[in-house]
Parts: sequence; structure tokens; C-alpha cells
Amino acid sequence: MRLDHLVIAVRDLDAATRDYTALLGRSPSWRGAHPTYGTANTLFRIDNTYIELLALNAGGKKNARWAGELARFLDENGEGLYAVALGVDDVDHTARLMRERGLDVLDPADGSGVDEMTQAHRAWRNAQVRVASSHGARLFFIQHHSPADALPPAPLVAAAGAGEAVRRLDHIVVLSADMEAARQLWEDVLGVRLALDRTFPERNTRILFFRLEDITVEISGGAQQAKEGIGKPDRLWGAAFGVDDLSATVARLNRAGVDVSGPRAGIKPGTLVATVKGPHTHGLALLLIEHTAQSFREESRLPQGAAFDNAPERRAFTLRALDHVVLSTADVDATAARWRDVLGLGTRSVQEPAGTHMRIADIPAGNCFIELVQPLSDDHRVARAISGRGAGMFSISVEVDDLDAAVSHLRSKRVPVSDAEPGVWAGTRIARVHRTASNGVSLQLIERR
Amino acid sequence: MIEKLHHVGVVVRDIDQALAFYRDTLGLDVHKLETIDDQGVRAALLTLGDSEIELLQPVRADTGVARYLDRRGEGLHHVCFQVSDIDGDLRDLKAAQVELVDQEPRIGLAGRICFLHPSALDGTLVELCAPIATEPAAEDA
Repeated sequence: MRLDHLVIAVRDLDAATRDYTALLGRSPSWRGAHPTYGTANTLFRIDNTYIELLALNAGGKKNARWAGELARFLDENGEGLYAVALGVDDVDHTARLMRERGLDVLDPADGSGVDEMTQAHRAWRNAQVRVASSHGARLFFIQHHSPADALPPAPLVAAAGAGEAVRRLDHIVVLSADMEAARQLWEDVLGVRLALDRTFPERNTRILFFRLEDITVEISGGAQQAKEGIGKPDRLWGAAFGVDDLSATVARLNRAGVDVSGPRAGIKPGTLVATVKGPHTHGLALLLIEHTAQSFREESRLPQGAAFDNAPERRAFTLRALDHVVLSTADVDATAARWRDVLGLGTRSVQEPAGTHMRIADIPAGNCFIELVQPLSDDHRVARAISGRGAGMFSISVEVDDLDAAVSHLRSKRVPVSDAEPGVWAGTRIARVHRTASNGVSLQLIERR
Repeated sequence: MIEKLHHVGVVVRDIDQALAFYRDTLGLDVHKLETIDDQGVRAALLTLGDSEIELLQPVRADTGVARYLDRRGEGLHHVCFQVSDIDGDLRDLKAAQVELVDQEPRIGLAGRICFLHPSALDGTLVELCAPIATEPAAEDA
């Protein structure tokens, strides 16, 4: 399943076409009408999808199903993101499959259109999903009969230089008051991959990130949406379009009289974003996004969470912070002096805890501390490490909220970890993860009482 | 002036395999995963309280990280401290004739960075960084 195209409902097709030509920096790929639907449209093909502006056709049949539904949407919601078309290879098969999964899908039907500018012809077969069964987000499945190049890329307008035009769709945003229902629809019914489930506590928002090839569908729920109440329909709300040079794009839009705020840093590291406001967007919440750093490879150009699918499962334990870093040395006092002289980090204490055969120093470093360790016997494991790899980084110690839970959870995952024991620092218990499990890192888990 | 420990760098052979432990088993969140061709590394940054674990995988043979992996295998590579004035600190280090890898700050994953030579601190490779400030975004679509 792919994100085939977005449909934006507009009242005045000519005005919307002018505005989107300015916004995108591209002229339409297509202008046409759907005689059997009672609608007319303008299409803009960009790199990874196309954008359809859809309006009622003045001369068309108002009672046609598509026209009637569009008219109702415009009356009730005004202009805005109207539908998401999901591309499939065999729409009849998809319709059957989705019905088996409980989705209310209308019978697939053939459709076609003619471009007013070139008289080119395109044909497809699509099947609508009743909005009641998709919680309000209007979806339909589409299988194109015409080859992809029947809809040519939207050409750059003269005013848009390289990098100043919209290149691709980055993500769309759906607001939901019932996140579990939305998750079921997109994951269990539509079968789209849930890449990331993340809560942003500071914004009181939870976002589910679904991935359709290189386009992300963000289902966003939080305080604002919950206020409207569970059971309220999901709302197709916004879209983020990728540009190569956001500053230049914003400057171009300002010259064209479009209200844009930004650029500013986006939530995803390495991104710059700008929000387009005002009447030009025709009800679409519209963000422009640039993935910065040209030398970064493809994966950083993918949308948020592209390759880092953080597991959403509830944790048996939590790693709270880096507690300290252990450095081995043949002479604690000499190394402590270097840390003071070179980095300005002074030593808090030097001690030789009984029974440890170690001389250790404690150097505070703001959010954690550096522990210097000098072995006092030749067969000490720190002495062996120094003779093997030389002095320097020896291990890191990470604070856990519940050491016993951590040890038993890790053992259930077949991670070799030592029994919990009292640590050398007062009020601590520790356990060691064997470095074969942690990519060569000697990792100590520490619990503070 | 050191403000905090910013991250600990770990050299690994295969980031995806390492993430199976650090992300999936330990439960650390990855907040950045990028390949930086200039530096010949693929890097994953995992949040650990107010510091980070930085996993580094060499993607080219002609880099320091690749040579480190060849010679010493996977493991702890460097520790990075966030400083308030990287230009001033580097100037002071040069004046004190501390051995340096970088004579001037350069752009790295953690912002403007520089490395000290490991011999300066008895075998530990230390990086200093000054993150590049980004304003918070409130209303991203």
C-alpha cells in the first residue's frame, strides 16, 4: 500500500490553483473534470505523490455521490484536507480483504479524466471507504490503469529557483481523539507499519508514526484532541512538504505575498521548518520542512523515526542516567593532576577501599563523575585491562531505577549479567553486564539508595 | 569551562546489531541516526538521562574510527564534555601546549567540537563540544 495522493477540498478551483502554484513553486500537471463525479480538479505531481485540488464542477451533476459528499464536507468543515488516496495493485482484491477485516468499503468502480490543457486521458479504478468505518478520516483505494508518466511532474514556475519549490511530501497529520481506534485502523486493518509510538510530555501529545514507503502518517492525539471527546471523528489536518532550501523557499513565498513563519528548528533533529499561514493554504495546516546537512545520507532524509523505531513496550526497568565513567590508570594521583590541569576538573576524594585492591579517585563533572581506578595488585582485572589495551576508558556505570528487575529482565533476554552486589561507592548496589553482550563495553548497572 | 558530560562514544562493527542491545534490550531511545559521509561514520545517538551514548560504525576504511576498530575491536572510544566557550578553552589548551587532535573547532554530531590527543589525559580520548542552539518548535504539523 502506498500513499497515492492527497485530495484538498476547495471552493474556487481557479483561486486555489493560483495559490497552490505559488505555494508549491510549480504549475499544475493537470486540469480536468470528472463528468460522472460532478467535480473538477487540478493536479500537481511532486517527487513521491501528487496533490489534487478538488472542487464542485459548476456544470456538473450535483447529485452524483462524489459531488454530494464534497458539497457536504465544504458546508460542514470548510476547505481543507479532504481525503487520502491509498495506492494498491489490485483494488478489487484490496476491497475484499478490507471488508474481511471489517472495513465498510464501497464497490470498486472505474473512473477516468481528461486534461483540459493537453487532452491527455487517464483511467483508474477506485473504492471508497465509508467515513463512519474509518473514524472520520476519508480514505479510498486506487489502482491506476494509466502509466505513472500519464501524469507528468508539475513544472517549476519561473519565479522558483532550484531548491525553492516543493519537492516531496514528508508527512501528513491526522488528529485523533481516540488513538487506540486510529491505531487499529492503520495497523490492524490497513496493515500499515507502525514505526514509532512516542509521547511528548512537554506538549501533552502522543503521536503514532505510520510509514507508507517514504511518507509518514502521523496520528496525533493529546490534550487538545481529547477535549473533543472519544468517539469524535478523526480529522485529516495537515501536510508537511519537503524542500531543498527552506530559507530560499521562505524568501520566495514572502515575495509572492504568502504568510510564512520561520524557518526555525524542527522537532526532528537536523530539520528546519516553516509554517504557511493564511488563506493561501485553503484550510490545510501546511508545514515546509528541510532536512539539513547535505552530506548526510538518505536515511536522514526520511521522515521522523525513519530508522530508529524505539520500542514502545512498557519497560521492566529504566536507565535513568549516566552515573559515572571509569578510567583505568597506572597512577591515580598523576592522572588526577592531569584532569585538573588540562580540563579544570578537580578531585573530590581519593581512597583505597578495604578489600578492593584499588586506589580510586572521584572527579565530579557536572551531571556525573569520573572515577579513576589504579589496580594495587597485578592480577586485578583493571591491571589486566591496562596490560591488554592500555590505560584509559574502562567501563561506564549507568543508574537504574530497579536493579533486581533489570538483572532478571536482562537474564530473561539471555544477556550475561552478574549477581547484584554492593558497589564501591556508598549507598549503591551494582551488577555488571558482560562486554560480549554490549559491543565490547564494560557496562555496570548501579542502583542508588 | 566544563558544564557536563555530553556523551560517551562507543565504536561498533554494526549499528543495527548494537541497537538490538542498546535500544531493544536496555530500552534507550534513539534520537538520531545518521551517516556522515564527511567523517566516514554512521552514528546513532541514544538518550541516557541528560547525557547520551553515541554508537559509531565506520563506513570507510580510511578513518580513525575504522583503524580503531581494526586495532582494538569494539568498545568504549571517547568521552565528550560540553563546554561553555569552546574557542576560549581551545585557545587555553593550545597556550598550555596540551596535545590536540584538532587545532580548531569543527562541526561534528554534537555541535562545534574538538578532540584532545589521548596522551594528554593518560590514555583517554576526550572530546569537547559546544552544541549549536536550536529554538524549540511549538506547532509543527
